[in-house]
Amino acid sequence: MEHTEPHSTEPEMANRQGAAQRPNGAQGKICQFKLVLLGESAVGKSSLVLRFVKGQFHEYQESTIGAAFLTQTVCLDDTTVKFEIWDTAGQERYHSLAPMYYRGAQAAIVVYDITNQDTFGRAKTWVKELQRQASPTIVIALAGNKQDLANKRMVEYEEAQTYAEENGLLFMETSAKTALNVNDIFLAIAKKLPKYDQNQGQSGQGQGRRLAEGDQGAKTPGNCCK
Amino acid sequence: MTLSVFVNPELQFSATTFFAKQHKGETCGANGLPLTPNSIILFGKAQFLKTLKNPYLCEYLDIIRGKHERTIVVSQFCGKPLSEYLGKKIFSDSDIIKIAFQLLTALSVLHKNKIVHRNLSTESILVQNSGDIKLFNYGFHYMTNNGQLVSFPIIKLSYAAPEIYLSPLKSHIANSKMDIWSVGIILVELILNKSLWSSLKLSQKIRKILSFYQCGTSVFEKIAREHNCFDVYQNLSAELKHIIEQCLQIDPRSRPTCEDLLKNEIFKEFKVVQRNNPSKVCEKYQIFTLKELYHWWKLAGGDIILELKKQGLIRSSPPILSMPCLVMLDGTVLGQGRNPATLYESKIVQMSLDTLYQRFKHIHLNFCYPLLHCKSDIIAAFDPPHYDTKALPLIIKEKDPEYQFHRIILFRRLLHGYPYTRDMIRKEVEKDIPPLLRGEIWAALLDIQPDYEEIYAMIDKETVTTTDRQIEVDIPRCHQYNELLSSSEGHIKLRRILKAWVHQNTQYVYWQGLDSLTAPFLYLNFNDEAKAFACLSEFVPKYVHKFFLKDNSAVIKEYLAKFSQLIAYHDPELANHLCDINFYPELFAIPWFLTVFSHVFPLYKILHVWDNLLSGDSSFPLHIGLSVLTQLRSKLLTAGFNDCILLFSDLPEVDIEKSINYSNDTFKNTPRSITTREHQNEEYYKTTEYDISGVTLNDLTRERCPRISATDVVDMIRNTPEKILLVDIRNPLQYSRCSVRNSINIPCSSVTYGEHSIENLGQYAQILKNSGDKIVIVIGSTDTDLELFPKFLLNCNIKKVCVLHGGFNILISVTPTVLVSQKFEA
Ligand SMILES: Nc1nc2c(ncn2[C@@H]2O[C@H](COP(=O)(O)OP(=O)(O)OP(=O)(O)O)[C@@H](O)[C@H]2O)c(=O)[nH]1
Ligand SMILES: [Mg+2]
Repeated sequence: MEHTEPHSTEPEMANRQGAAQRPNGAQGKICQFKLVLLGESAVGKSSLVLRFVKGQFHEYQESTIGAAFLTQTVCLDDTTVKFEIWDTAGQERYHSLAPMYYRGAQAAIVVYDITNQDTFGRAKTWVKELQRQASPTIVIALAGNKQDLANKRMVEYEEAQTYAEENGLLFMETSAKTALNVNDIFLAIAKKLPKYDQNQGQSGQGQGRRLAEGDQGAKTPGNCCK
Repeated sequence: MTLSVFVNPELQFSATTFFAKQHKGETCGANGLPLTPNSIILFGKAQFLKTLKNPYLCEYLDIIRGKHERTIVVSQFCGKPLSEYLGKKIFSDSDIIKIAFQLLTALSVLHKNKIVHRNLSTESILVQNSGDIKLFNYGFHYMTNNGQLVSFPIIKLSYAAPEIYLSPLKSHIANSKMDIWSVGIILVELILNKSLWSSLKLSQKIRKILSFYQCGTSVFEKIAREHNCFDVYQNLSAELKHIIEQCLQIDPRSRPTCEDLLKNEIFKEFKVVQRNNPSKVCEKYQIFTLKELYHWWKLAGGDIILELKKQGLIRSSPPILSMPCLVMLDGTVLGQGRNPATLYESKIVQMSLDTLYQRFKHIHLNFCYPLLHCKSDIIAAFDPPHYDTKALPLIIKEKDPEYQFHRIILFRRLLHGYPYTRDMIRKEVEKDIPPLLRGEIWAALLDIQPDYEEIYAMIDKETVTTTDRQIEVDIPRCHQYNELLSSSEGHIKLRRILKAWVHQNTQYVYWQGLDSLTAPFLYLNFNDEAKAFACLSEFVPKYVHKFFLKDNSAVIKEYLAKFSQLIAYHDPELANHLCDINFYPELFAIPWFLTVFSHVFPLYKILHVWDNLLSGDSSFPLHIGLSVLTQLRSKLLTAGFNDCILLFSDLPEVDIEKSINYSNDTFKNTPRSITTREHQNEEYYKTTEYDISGVTLNDLTRERCPRISATDVVDMIRNTPEKILLVDIRNPLQYSRCSVRNSINIPCSSVTYGEHSIENLGQYAQILKNSGDKIVIVIGSTDTDLELFPKFLLNCNIKKVCVLHGGFNILISVTPTVLVSQKFEA
């Protein structure tokens, strides 16, 4: 399936953050980030999202066709970070849909399955593609999933870590099943997202935009700031 | 008075129960997935037993899973065990020969199907009033995967062949020659008219049987002597003696097979010519089968589990008593052991049919023979009672025993006459489909090839291909809440069907989702893989033609564009809102249409949706999609992009019956050409030169309102002029020269498009505002802009706006008779 991006009207999407009133009246930032999950089929992308968003694990998680969308909010110090997560289909055939989801994403988690060497190879291909095609400021994390099956491991931790270091990626081994490092990897991404570098520049650098609800300015998947 | 067709001594069934082996702790299989519970494996394996039909075999009806790996087997059960006659009745030689013949015939059917009884005894042979026998519980060893799925031994001590005692404890072997030994023992018992070794203790019995290894002479003779019956042995006819001696050979290889034994002269008189079943879609005609009776029994309130509870076979103990004493960190549980004595219940619980008889008391014999072709007033008096099928909810209809009785009786007659009754089947299906016959009815609706079995048999389903990995990871994620599909048998079958399909359809490739598309067919035809495959093979070209092309992007995009147009056509307000928030079908509807909702709905919903789909064409899924949006309409209208898309991430409770009714309505009320596609399979559509064609994907995606064909328009001008509003947007000059009768003229150049206000149309505003349910057909010509005006109407929330494909001029060639010229009129 090849689909052109349906959102050509979308202006530059670097990072989007907006100040918002907290219910208690204190000033707190609410940032929204678009995050995309990529990786070979059945490595556990949907399972990671489900664990992160709902704290659940389904052994018989259905396969993903096209893509699925979920959101989850985490709190970091005085900032509320809202992730808008696109969980994509892993089968190679759906590849052509992927740009629609990673274009404009501020973060990506590339997932492989530590019990399957081929999926690691595929993850590397995704990383390359992101480095070439996605936003240059995109934060990429590499997740070696199914860590609970370490006794059937085919991809060594060190191998993946070295690769991640060479490419400037965040790296963790995760398990959607036992919840190991699942929240951590999302938090690590949240921390690394540029708002901390530019904390002061929120209003000055023109990158943060504040959109009132119902604002028609920019609506695309993942571009729905409130 | 209850009809005698229901009260038949052979139409009886019973239930038995036991526990499958529990996995210890939580262990994972090689793929990291938890091990499939043994009761599920067993459940899948046992399905095959339901297909065995033979006068000498009790029919398996159902396998039910209870709590904690409990398994309940429902099977035909009639007559009395042979064991009860032993010693009480004199068996003549000819009685014995007849029993031997029937027993061997039954076993040969089993052996041909690679089933070894291995648990054969006089208890599992049921003697009927007629004197014929039926073998019972013959699938126990088979369904437990040769005993591997249970933690108790399956053995009848006195009847077990000696090699069984010699084989290692957990070897789980089954050889058909073991049954032959048991046949020998049974025949000996009949001849001596007593059960063997009845006074011996367990260990003594085993020793006895093992001692045959040292016995140089005939085993039969030895047994006869030990039971003080040597005279009976001596006086026995030579043929019978020979048969028994052959059966009781110590070396299994020396024992003959059932087939060999049946060749014996003494069985000659029983041999009859067997007829093959000529019909493919339906089995040989009977008014109804035991399976159907069982189905009605359940609908009439029959509950197997409840009966077992009443009989004390299922006891519940307070949960506190089943708490483990100790749980180790690795998950090992100690001190919760189930009392091994309760693992297997030997009791057979016969089910009472009284409630059903009571319920069906008033059913007239005529109702068993519904008339299909001729009707007359006299005959009509015997028609089944009229049911207001439209008004009753599906769930009520499906649960009503009488209604299901009439439906099943009718459909099995129709299916029996298939393919000659094809049209009648289609007509009846519009009311509803009785769930019990759904598999057969679907196959008939899909017109599967009569030689589907041979076709399937010849397809390569084994050779390793590059798609294997994907299929392999998809199968354990495909509708796994369903017991059949999650069983090992289910996995194997699904894999074979998918591989066969990929092999057979070289123009296509495996897309994730094809697994879900196959699931309903496999579920309905679990014991007929070839039919499941045949259904899939007919379904794809009819409903998802070209969807599985390697590059399917143009096909899918066209389909999604048509979906957007259909929303705009029926619900402009929603369409406008979704468009405003950039909520495109591309983002959420691909799995809907690629898998015709089989990846988004649970099975029971898919079945009902497809019941209707199969009476429709490939545009039907668009209407289902629309009906889903309609159900969520109020939420969608107030939601922004995020909330909209979240709504679809896991499709919330969609009331499927509402959805179906709504889709049927819009499907009926939408002119066919509105949903015509370039990529639809022409084989299933009659086309004329006035149909829509030649629309590029670019045009299609740009046009927010659908086109309509001249054929449809002329048809409506002629037949339903009150339902249409023809808006001619050419300039007044052209209009006055020649126009469609009763059309109104709103020259498109005269409209100010700036604001979305219908008032811009001046004098005609009111007409359009009041167009209500009329189809608004915009007629232009080559030199008018055919997008701006319809889009304007759409933005003004005018419903059912469409554009005549080919413009005004096409009408001149189709049928000038609907045209008028104002000059003449005036
Ligand atoms: N043991 C173990 N199994 C996991 C883990 N994560 C996922 N799985 C299993 O792996 C299978 C695939 O997981 P999914 O989440 O569906 O994989 P996916 O990457 O979303 O696959 P696609 O949707 O096909 O792209 C499922 O059966 C999960 O139960 C994990 O951390 N440990
Ligand atoms: Mg997934």
